[in-house]
Amino acid sequence: MLRTALRNVLAHKARLIMTVLAVGLGVAFISGSLVFADSTTAAYRASMAKNYAGVAVTVDPKSPPGAPANGRTNVLDDALVAELAAVPGVSAARPTADGSATLAAKNGSPMRADNTMGKLAAAYVPGADGKDSRFPLTSGRAPRTDGEIALDRGTASAGKYALGDIVTLATDGPVLRMRLVGIVSTKDTRVTSGGTLAVFDKATAQKLFAAPGRYTGIDLSAEPGTDQFELARRVSALLPADRAEATTATAKAGRQSVFIDTKTSSYSRLPMVFAVVSLFIGSFLIINTFTMLITRRSREIALLRAIGATRRQVVGSVLAEAALVGLVASALGFVLGLGVATALPSVLGTADDLLPRGPLVIGPAPVLASLAVGVGVTVLAAWLPSRRAAGIAPVEAMRAAEQAPSAALSRIRGAVGAAVLVLGAGLLFSLSDAKDASDENLRTALFGCGILVTGLILLAPLLAGPVIRLLGRLTARSGVAGDLAKDNALRDPRRTAATAVALMISTALVSGLAVIDHSSSRALDSQAAAGLSADYVIGTRNTTTAIDAAAVQRVAAVPGVATASAVADSTISAGAFAREVSGVDPKTVGDVMKLRFTSGSAKDIGPGRIAVSSSFARENRVSTGGQIKASIGPGRGDRAQPYTVVGIYQDNPTAHDVLAHRGDVQQHSFLRDSLQRVLVATDHGAASPALEKRLRAAVDGSPLLTVQDRAQLVREQAGVAGDLAGMVFGLLAVGVIIAALGMVNTLAMSVSERTREIGVLRAIGMDRTGIRRMIRVESLVVAAYGTLLGLAVGLFGAWKVSGLANGAIPQYAFSLPWGTLALVVVLSLAAGAAAAALPARRAAALSPLRAVADA
Amino acid sequence: MSQTFPSPSTALVEPAARASGLTKTYGKGETRVTALDAVSVEFARGRFTAVMGPSGSGKSTLMHCMAGLDPVTSGSARIGGVELSDLNDRQLTRLRREKVGFVFQGFNLLPALTALENITLPLRLAGRRPDPAWLDTVVATVGLAGRLAHRPTQLSGGQQQRVAVARALVSRPEIVFADEPTGNLDSRSGAEVLGFLRDSVRELGQTVVMVTHDPVAAAHADRVVFLADGRLVDELHEPTSGAVLDRMLAFEARGRTS
Repeated sequence: MLRTALRNVLAHKARLIMTVLAVGLGVAFISGSLVFADSTTAAYRASMAKNYAGVAVTVDPKSPPGAPANGRTNVLDDALVAELAAVPGVSAARPTADGSATLAAKNGSPMRADNTMGKLAAAYVPGADGKDSRFPLTSGRAPRTDGEIALDRGTASAGKYALGDIVTLATDGPVLRMRLVGIVSTKDTRVTSGGTLAVFDKATAQKLFAAPGRYTGIDLSAEPGTDQFELARRVSALLPADRAEATTATAKAGRQSVFIDTKTSSYSRLPMVFAVVSLFIGSFLIINTFTMLITRRSREIALLRAIGATRRQVVGSVLAEAALVGLVASALGFVLGLGVATALPSVLGTADDLLPRGPLVIGPAPVLASLAVGVGVTVLAAWLPSRRAAGIAPVEAMRAAEQAPSAALSRIRGAVGAAVLVLGAGLLFSLSDAKDASDENLRTALFGCGILVTGLILLAPLLAGPVIRLLGRLTARSGVAGDLAKDNALRDPRRTAATAVALMISTALVSGLAVIDHSSSRALDSQAAAGLSADYVIGTRNTTTAIDAAAVQRVAAVPGVATASAVADSTISAGAFAREVSGVDPKTVGDVMKLRFTSGSAKDIGPGRIAVSSSFARENRVSTGGQIKASIGPGRGDRAQPYTVVGIYQDNPTAHDVLAHRGDVQQHSFLRDSLQRVLVATDHGAASPALEKRLRAAVDGSPLLTVQDRAQLVREQAGVAGDLAGMVFGLLAVGVIIAALGMVNTLAMSVSERTREIGVLRAIGMDRTGIRRMIRVESLVVAAYGTLLGLAVGLFGAWKVSGLANGAIPQYAFSLPWGTLALVVVLSLAAGAAAAALPARRAAALSPLRAVADA
Repeated sequence: MSQTFPSPSTALVEPAARASGLTKTYGKGETRVTALDAVSVEFARGRFTAVMGPSGSGKSTLMHCMAGLDPVTSGSARIGGVELSDLNDRQLTRLRREKVGFVFQGFNLLPALTALENITLPLRLAGRRPDPAWLDTVVATVGLAGRLAHRPTQLSGGQQQRVAVARALVSRPEIVFADEPTGNLDSRSGAEVLGFLRDSVRELGQTVVMVTHDPVAAAHADRVVFLADGRLVDELHEPTSGAVLDRMLAFEARGRTS
C-alpha cells in the first residue's frame, strides 16, 4: 500500500501543492519561532554575557550583610590586583571598572534609551605596554581625564560622532559631557550585538562605577594546566570573606545562562501563536484536500476494495499518503522557517528596543518539531477523510455518480452544531454579570469563544445553503455566470464550508482582537492623561535612573513654570498585594494632579500619613482615619509599619494606588532619596514647544530623562496597545494567506472536476470572460461566506469579552474599529478574488472540445 | 438575431454548413497525422445528415471543425455562409451560441441546474429571453413536460439526452451537431432520441448533422456520408440500416485488402 500511496502523491502533485504550502506555512512558523528563540537566546547571551574567554576566575566585591552596596565597602584596589597577580597559577590579573552609560547621539536623541542592556561603559586600563588589550585603539588616543571619552567604532558611527566632538551621556544621575578623543575596537559581544560602548579613563570609571581607587571586578587568567576550581580556592583564601568573592568563569557563565533563558523565553511565544493559528486553519485545508482527492478516487478505491483490499489497507494508504505530504511540507516549512527566523527580529523589535543581532542557531529541536508537527497535523487531519475512504463500498466501483451525504447525517450534524453554538453563546452570556477580568472569567470567555467557533464549524455546511443563496441575489447581477457560480458554490456545501471556515477563523480572530484592541486603546488613551492636571511630565526612561534634586530646582526656575512637583515612585506592600505608591509633596500635589477625594484631603498627607485610592481602600478594608500596616519599597513586609489613612480619592492613574509623603517613599525606595517624576504645571497658556525646550535644557538634555506633554503621554500609551494591533494584522495576513491557499486548492480542484462542464459551457456559447467571471464569483461567494461567519462570531465574542474589560479598565467602552473591519472584509474578498485568478485562467483556457473529446 | 450573419431569406440557396477542401492535421514532422484530407461536403438546410465511418476515419474531427470547436488547418468551413476561420474566439463563441446546437454522447448537462434551466442555458448565455411558445414546442417535441424541475441526476440517461436535444434546439440554431448521441443509451432510449432529432427536422425544419458509427442510428437520417482515412468516400440517400451496414462492411473489407 505504501507504493500505492507514493504513486498517488506523485500523480496528484498539483493537487497537493496547496496543502503542502499550507502545512509548510504552519511548520515554518513553528520552526521559525524555535530557531528564532534559539538564535535570540544565543544573541542575548552574547549581548548580556560578559565574555569569559581567557578568564578562569573573577573576583567581585560583596556587600557585608545589612550594608548598602556602595563604594565604602569595596576592597578591590590596585594592591589586591597586585596580590592576586602573584598567586601561583595566575598568569594575569586585570581589574575592571564597568558600568552602564546612556549616550545621546549628536542630535540629542538618546541611543538605546529604553533598553537597560547593552549600554556598556568601562575603564581604559593600560597594561605594561601602555595599551589596553581589551580595547585596542584604532584611532585617536586613550581618554586621560574626566573630560575625555573613547567610543567603539559602531557606537561612534551610530551616534554620528567624530573625534573632537563633545559627547553627551549619563550614567545614573547628572549629565556628563566629554570630548571624544579615541575610537577603540572591541570583541565584547555585548557591544557587537548592537550595544554601545563608552570607555573612560580609569579614575573616572572608578569614580562613576565603584569608588576612587576601587574596581568593580578583577578578572584572573590562569596558566595552562591550572584547574579553575583550585585557582578559585587559592584566590578565595586571600580575600576578605565578607567583602569579595571569587567565582570560576564556568559557574558564572552557567548562572548567566539561566538568567538569559528566563529573559528570552517570552520571545518565542508570539510566533508560536501564529504557528498554532496557521496550523489550525491549515488543517481544514488538509481535510478538504484529502476529502476531495478521495471523492475523486472513490471509484479507484472501490476497485481496490473489490479486488480484495481491506478497509484498514485503504485507510493505511490514505494516511501513508498524508504522511508523505506532511514530510514534504515539513521540509519546506523548515526552510521557510529559517526565513521567518531571519525576519522576526526586525518584526518584533521596535525602533527603540532592538533585539540583539546574531547568526541563526539551528539546533535539533526545531528540526524535530517541524517533522513531528508537519507530519502529525497532516496525518491527523487526513484521518477523517480516510475514514470516508474506508466507507466506500466495493460496489461503488460500478456506480457512476457520487452520492450526496445522507440527510440523516446532516441533521445530526446540524443538531450537534446548533447545540454547541448555543452552549458557546450561553457561556459568553453567562459572563454578562461578571464584573472583572479575573483569570477564571477570561478562561470562560476564551472557552466560550472556542466552543462558539466549533459550533459554527459544524454548522457551516448547513448554513452555506441559505447564506449563499442570499449572497446569490447579489451575484445574479453578473448574469448567468454569477448564477452558475452560486450554484457551483452550493453544489458541495461541505467543501464550500470547509474552504470558507479557514477564512472564518482568521476573520473571527482578527475582527475580535481588533475590536478589543480598538476599544482598549481608546480607553488607555483617555486613561493616560486622566487624573493629570500638569502640562508636562518629566520622567525617567528606566527604573535604575533617578532625577536629581538640583534638576527639579532648575525646572521650577524655568520662566513659565508655575509648579514643579517632584514625585518619588515605589511600591507599597500591604497584605498580599504589592501596589504602586507615589511619594508627593502635599503642598503642590493638588496643582498637578486631578484628585477627587471622597473623604479627607491631600493636605493632610505627611510623614506616616497616606491617602489611598478607593479601590485600594476597598481591597484593604480601610477608611479615612483608619490605620494600615504596610511597607514601602522593595522587599516584603518585614519592615511593615503603621500608616494612618488621611484621605480616599477616586482611582487616578497618575496618582497610582497610594499617595504618601515624599520623604517616606524616598527613604525606602530602590534608589535611595531618588525622584522618578516631575509634574510640571505651567502659567496659564504657557505650554509651548519653546517651553518644552527650556525644560529639556533644565534637565541638562539628559538622555535618561523624558519630557512629555499630555499628547505625547497618550501616544506613548497607544504604543503599548499598538503591539496588539501589530499582532492583529500579522494574524490577518497569515490567516488570509492560508485561506487563500485553500481557496486556490478548492477552485483548482473544482475546475478540473468540471472540465467537461466548462467545455460544454464554452461549446454552447459562454465566452472566456464568462467562464473567468463564473470562477471568480464562486470564489468571492465562498470568501464572503467565510468572512460573514467570521465577522459574526468575532464581533459577538468581542462584545461579550468587552464586558469583562469594563471591570479592568474603567474607561473601556465597546467601540467598533470601522476602518480595520472594512480592511478585514476587503482583504478577505481580495484573497478570494486573487485565489480565483489561476483556476479561472485555467478554466477559461479549456477548449470547448474537452466536452466532447473526454467522453 | 445578429445582422452579421446572412438573413434567413438566403437559406434556400445557401446550405446550412459547408466544408470545402477542409484539411486538418495534428502534430508536426514525423508525428504529423492528417485527420481530414481536403474534405468537401455540404449539409443542406432542413435535412438530417449522418456522418459515418470507422474509428479514426475523421468523422468526429469533421464535426468539431464544422462546429467551430477546432480550428481548421486549411480549406474552408462555413456555417450559414460565415467562414469560421475568419472568426476570433469571441466571435466563434457567439456563433456557437446563436447558430449551433450541440448534442453530446455524454449528455453533458450541468448538474447544478434543473432540466428547464439546462434547456434555456444557451438563451441566458446570449442574454435572451426564451420565446415561451417555442420553448413549449421544443419541450413537447422531446416529451419532457413533466420533468422540467428535475435535476439531471434525477433523470434517466434517455431523459437526460432528451434535455440535451431540447437545449440544442431552443435557440433555433442554424444547425445542430450531434456526436454519437445514442452512444450511452440503451436501444429503446436511443431510438427515442433519434426519433426526436428526426422530428425536429421534419416538423421544426431543423438541420441536424449526426456523427455515429451505428448503422441503425444512421438509418434515421435522410442522408449518410461516409468517411474513411480522412476522406469523403461515399454517400447514401434515404438509407436503411441494412444498406448502411453493407457499405460499412464494404469499406472495411476494402480497407483490409488495400
